[in-house]
Amino acid sequence: MTATVGQLHFEDVQAGMELPAMVKNASRAQLFLYSAASSNPHRIHYDREYAAVEGHPDVLVHGPLQGAWLAQFVSDWMGPRGRLLHLTWQNRARAFPESDLTFRGRVTAVADGVVELEVWEENADGQVIMPGTARVRLPRGEP
Amino acid sequence: MTADSRESLVPPEARAMVGQRLGQPATGEITLKDAQRFAKAVDDLNPLYFDEAAAREAGYRTLIVPPTYLGYVTAQHGTLADLRIDGLYRSGSRGPQLRVKRVMFGGEDWDFLSPAYVGDTITAETRLAGLEEKDGASGPFVLMTTETTYTNQLGEVVARARGRSIAR
Repeated sequence: MTATVGQLHFEDVQAGMELPAMVKNASRAQLFLYSAASSNPHRIHYDREYAAVEGHPDVLVHGPLQGAWLAQFVSDWMGPRGRLLHLTWQNRARAFPESDLTFRGRVTAVADGVVELEVWEENADGQVIMPGTARVRLPRGEP
Repeated sequence: MTADSRESLVPPEARAMVGQRLGQPATGEITLKDAQRFAKAVDDLNPLYFDEAAAREAGYRTLIVPPTYLGYVTAQHGTLADLRIDGLYRSGSRGPQLRVKRVMFGGEDWDFLSPAYVGDTITAETRLAGLEEKDGASGPFVLMTTETTYTNQLGEVVARARGRSIAR
């Protein structure tokens, strides 16, 4: 389940603060379901023999699925009344199923209700395979 | 072979497309079923996508959708006869024809300007923003950048996305 239990407020956040990590570990079935839900028939995501033809040792986790996870990571942290304004990411290295992918982040700046984040995804070896940034607007707490 | 004697990966016809719209704008409806199917495939069970009361409580007029789902609302499907050996659609590429073997997804930059709701009709318009030839550790490649604008039925721009692909 998602962790949108509480609401984060702007006053709760300072630069340097780290976000709680989120770990994903995709099954092959999940990759298949994401291919279907995103209308993507590319064989590198479900056909291991074909993936080898394109030079991959196994099927690959979709770059956009990792982007969707990044959006989930930031959205869960900010809570339901937060607003995601901006999200960027670069897929720099391959990601594989049945292997832990960890999403991390830290606050880089806060001003006028808006929070800037540095976010990234690491593979099981701790290599950053997808760096990114996010900008969110947080509600003010009750006085 | 030096860069000078090498044939460019970007033919002149492709170069001429930079700045231009790729294909016609595509329109599609955000349906509850498809948006929730996407959220479940991501394993993002945020109540804002599933629980109407939670969405209203959070200040939305109805259910919203996972942010990057916008990229699939107007997805076009080919026929089986249209599939290439790699599984992609032959006619799926409205983009420039480059002298490359394959194209890898490289990431996206999104600006979310207004909520996208279940029931909205979204029009996506894509422009070829750039074709940069580069030399990488594993040979020359083209960094292709596209820009897509997503507009709802009220004419509000709900999001803009810049997509990067590596073609080699």
